[in-house]
Amino acid sequence: MRLGVRIAAGLSSIVAACFSTATLAHHSTAEFDYTKQITIKGTVKEVQWTNPHSYIQLLADGDGGEKTQWSVEIGSPTLNINMGWRKNSVKVGDVVTMNLSPARNGKPYGTLRVLTFADGQTLEGVAARVGAGPSGAPPPPPSTKGP
Amino acid sequence: MTVRPDRWGLALCAVVLTAVCVLKSADAARTPKGAPEALLGVWVPDAAPRALLTSDGKAPPLTSEAAKVHAERRQRLAAGDTSFDPTTWCAGPGMPRILTMPYPFEIRADSNRLAFIHGWYRWFRVVDLGAGTADPPLPLTMGFPVGHWDADTLVIRTGGLIDATVMDASGLPHSEQLTLTERLRVLPDGRLDDRITIDDPENYTQPWQTALTFHRDATARVTDDVCPDRMARGEPAEQIAVSKTTASRAKPAALRTAAVAAESAARAPRIAGVWEPKTFGFMVPDAPLSSAGQDIVTRNAAAMQAGKIMQTAWVSCRPGAVSTMTMPREKIVILESADEVTVLFEMPRMVRRIRMNASHPATLEPTYVGDSVGRWEDGALVVDTLGFNGYAELDARGQPTSPKLHTVERFKPSADGSSIDIETTIEDPEYYTHPFVINRSWKKSAARHPFEYDCMENPRQEDFENAYYVRERYRPICMRVEGEGVALSKMVCAVRNRALQ
Repeated sequence: MRLGVRIAAGLSSIVAACFSTATLAHHSTAEFDYTKQITIKGTVKEVQWTNPHSYIQLLADGDGGEKTQWSVEIGSPTLNINMGWRKNSVKVGDVVTMNLSPARNGKPYGTLRVLTFADGQTLEGVAARVGAGPSGAPPPPPSTKGP
Repeated sequence: MTVRPDRWGLALCAVVLTAVCVLKSADAARTPKGAPEALLGVWVPDAAPRALLTSDGKAPPLTSEAAKVHAERRQRLAAGDTSFDPTTWCAGPGMPRILTMPYPFEIRADSNRLAFIHGWYRWFRVVDLGAGTADPPLPLTMGFPVGHWDADTLVIRTGGLIDATVMDASGLPHSEQLTLTERLRVLPDGRLDDRITIDDPENYTQPWQTALTFHRDATARVTDDVCPDRMARGEPAEQIAVSKTTASRAKPAALRTAAVAAESAARAPRIAGVWEPKTFGFMVPDAPLSSAGQDIVTRNAAAMQAGKIMQTAWVSCRPGAVSTMTMPREKIVILESADEVTVLFEMPRMVRRIRMNASHPATLEPTYVGDSVGRWEDGALVVDTLGFNGYAELDARGQPTSPKLHTVERFKPSADGSSIDIETTIEDPEYYTHPFVINRSWKKSAARHPFEYDCMENPRQEDFENAYYVRERYRPICMRVEGEGVALSKMVCAVRNRALQ
């Protein structure tokens, strides 16, 4: 079996084991580096509870007091519902901390692992269900969430 | 010997009898009492109003806040900005917006459900005729419609509507508190009358009613409309004039054999209902690729290894029916009637029409869904599909298909009705050396209603920054671009005005 096929087949079984079919959506997640985690804190500017992916736009506190807008993918409506979210779980103006896997391109963009509210309550994002690959590995093959 | 009825036995009998009565009445509730046949078929809007009015011709009773929102949208509309309406970028119209669009719809039904199959971008709504109420866990574009018959009138109550949509092309707002109550009946002159009561205390000072009417047109039909393809050709996402596709539709051909006819006629519905995937797969690992097919897969793999995000027909929101055969996802609803098996897919959103005991027409216009004909044979529904347009990939590796694709599916329901095994034979001599078989299974879903998948709802710019387009056609038309600082995001649509690649 060729390497690409083997990686894809292996990935298929891993993903199938980790997710119900309801969690699988749309396109590749190769844009994110799942071997890395960063934590940002800020104020929710916008919640996009949408297909194919849902996002939170966060105005994050920078070191020098400036605000940086982050785009954080959190999943998709059906997926997030299955993970315990509701459409209004996170509201504009909420102050939250987000642990995420960042985009490979270095932009303020990432996929959510865990969101923590000011009172300590947490919500998991889709990346919490994806195991980190080996450090330094090539980008994961596409379609970890489907075609 | 005298038999004395035991009190507990009597009580048990009473319980059983009550249960039987309850079940029977529940069963009866699922059976249309009115005249569903009168509603079935294709309906064309009489007027397709751009702005809804009350049924006595007055402006809707907006609250002062909602009136400000509406006035601002009308100003934008006058300036040519329709971006308050998600249909602008091919996202879901919602209700009642889709009923105001100048496209036909078709009503189909079986004893438990009634489906509106709309002529605009594959949207449908499934009306549950058996549930008393719906308890939507998340708001949807088309909501959760529940129906019952009141004499000859079908009453549909819809809640759970997402507030990102507008109620008409003028931008009439609504909130997620919106409840719609429709009363549909056929008027003496043959038109379909839909009286809609709109109850949204957040935006309207009182419930109000609007009326939409539709007529029959023997030449109209509902086609597999793919909005992004129309936009790519430079056409608007929504046309203004009432649309009716007049292409001829194949008439059911003579039955293949008397035996098949007998089995089909005798067959009670076997696969109707709501189903979800039992077996899952988004890879077709052992497809016998030809050298031409292998070249494409190798090219795709190289792009993937370089970290590119592969854009297939599925990702670009124009999936083909073959993808649903190889990569079953989410729920499907099957309606079964003598002349057609209708399959409504939640994800990817799609409607497959399987004409029973029919033949393919001599000439076929290629489409994403193809032309499907079915027959019952040895306890299995055999579906033969031709006429694909070649814009579909079999799996996440982008294994290609061509217009030579021919599929034969055997839907075999289990004896207890809890599952369907589907054996699909895929033949495409352009890219595969010989026909091959894949097996998938569906299980009966406990859900009474599918969710929905609005693929075009939020095409984020980030999704396309590192894209590899398997086909040129799959390039996006519109993207959401995030605003700086407190500025909100905006949708940016490119004007293509070119022939589809």
